[in-house]
Amino acid sequence: MGAPRRRVRGAESDILMDTTNLPIPIGTTVMIEHAGETMEEMYVNMGPQHPSTHGVLRLLLKLDGEVITDCIPYIGYLHRCHEKIAENRTYPQVVPYTDRLDYLASMSMNFGYVLTVERLMGQQVPARAEHMRVILAELQRIASHLLWLGTFGLDLGNFTIFIYCFREREMILDLFEAVSGQRLNYSFYRIGGMAFDFPDGWLDNCRAFLEWFKPRIPEYDALVTDNILFQKRIQGIGVIDAKSAVDWGLSGPMLRASGLKWDLRRNDPYSIYDRFDFAIPVFDTCDVWARFLVRRQEMLESVKIIEQALDQLPSGEITAKMPKTIKPPAGQVYVRTESPRGELGFYLVSDGTPKPYRYKVRSPAFCNLSALPVMMKGCLVADSVAILGSIDIVLGEIDR
Amino acid sequence: MTPDEILEQLKQKFGDALSGTEVKGVEVRLTTAAVNGRPVCELLRDLGFEYLNCLSGADWTTHLEVVYNLSSLRHPHKAHLRVRVDRDHPVVRSVSDLWRAADWHERECFDLFGVQFDGHPDHRRILLPEDWVGYPLRKDYADERLVPYTDYGMEEKVAKTEAAKGAPKAAKAEPPKPLSKNNVTGEIPGTA
Repeated sequence: MGAPRRRVRGAESDILMDTTNLPIPIGTTVMIEHAGETMEEMYVNMGPQHPSTHGVLRLLLKLDGEVITDCIPYIGYLHRCHEKIAENRTYPQVVPYTDRLDYLASMSMNFGYVLTVERLMGQQVPARAEHMRVILAELQRIASHLLWLGTFGLDLGNFTIFIYCFREREMILDLFEAVSGQRLNYSFYRIGGMAFDFPDGWLDNCRAFLEWFKPRIPEYDALVTDNILFQKRIQGIGVIDAKSAVDWGLSGPMLRASGLKWDLRRNDPYSIYDRFDFAIPVFDTCDVWARFLVRRQEMLESVKIIEQALDQLPSGEITAKMPKTIKPPAGQVYVRTESPRGELGFYLVSDGTPKPYRYKVRSPAFCNLSALPVMMKGCLVADSVAILGSIDIVLGEIDR
Repeated sequence: MTPDEILEQLKQKFGDALSGTEVKGVEVRLTTAAVNGRPVCELLRDLGFEYLNCLSGADWTTHLEVVYNLSSLRHPHKAHLRVRVDRDHPVVRSVSDLWRAADWHERECFDLFGVQFDGHPDHRRILLPEDWVGYPLRKDYADERLVPYTDYGMEEKVAKTEAAKGAPKAAKAEPPKPLSKNNVTGEIPGTA
């Protein structure tokens, strides 16, 4: 009980305000008559410290017996006002902070940010750097989806897939470590190019990994996709139809699982994505099962993109000639990229000084999570973990 | 419909209420006052912008601003709408019934900028605790725990390089003479 982050401590503020507004205390039941039927109403707290909320997320569930009738997410436990910090740093100094947004896809976060600043400056990037960016971002997508698949299996009680996925993810992290010296927060993208070139022999290692990775998907299929228990567990739950998905601003795999063929790499191409040939997986059952299939398929598509980028990789410079102090001209821009979780947008306002005047992150998981109550209503308590897992949230990015 | 036609339609309906109108590639950019925020949004929604990408605030010290980034999944057009809000009475009509995505975005904007969204279904803080005092992203936000960022030694360094640019290059200091190989005692020559 209590809220340790509160500024004003006292008898009143020790009780969470929203909890005091509830008609009955958390954890107690009350029988109510509704349309001639007796309902057993109860409020249950899920989190903030709960193994399957993937971080510190609190869900207040309103139950009727086993059925969820309402769900209120409470976020902000990881809030550090990233946007205020960025306003007090110079443009290149913000790059390491973007790593900490979505710590499972740091490369994609760096990518989005440097692209925004470059768009504001009208800066071109050398071809080799563009290819490096795509290769690393797509490897990151595979790593992120692997971690999602592993922990999703863990949520559903399928522990084996977790071990398999982490084995492959480890190899990608080794590749990243060889490139940037870091395993999680890379800060490898620079405004105008990349920090370093690929080390010797890295390209062969990358190709060897892709060759090794491709036959792993059938292996996962044998473990989970073809597993009838796994299928029955996630089919038909967490449904959100295409119209609501657009209305709620869902993006990425969540939108594609609702039957909409929408991928920013194809529909609003940035960097050099228009040069590659890849498919956009779409499934229209709108449920957790569809989201699983979309991400499974996306890993294979990313492999295709990386292979093409490796084949086309030109030699040459990896950084454009940049001024010593980066001062974008006054103006504002909103740039969106496709991160593993969906549309990652950066809204940047420059006043011509070396520091951003206003900097806002449109986090994909933030919007995807806001639609959770829609997906949860009418589901069983046991399914809540599967539905939450299917959104693929990273609290570092939601709370910022 | 081209972005120019979209802008034409908006101008027809709102006329002088719009300012800073411009078409940048596929993006329509416009600025308007708080009272027109909601009607412009309604028209944009009818013109096919069914996806709200981002809703953010900005503090321009003289006034606040709510910025809407809209797009469509059917055509490539984008809209960038800036709504000026009075700093002392920051109230705009909520658009959370036009785009449900605005729900949390507006709560965030209220949380960090203090803009009130009239008609919002669940007007609470979202990221900060409910009894937090002040709105952190305003430029004049003060907090005794806020430690200003210091570029440790950076200013001196810059001043030094600036000074060095003008001043003639200082003569290179002579490197100390190496000790003679025969000097096994370690005595410094010339001191004895």
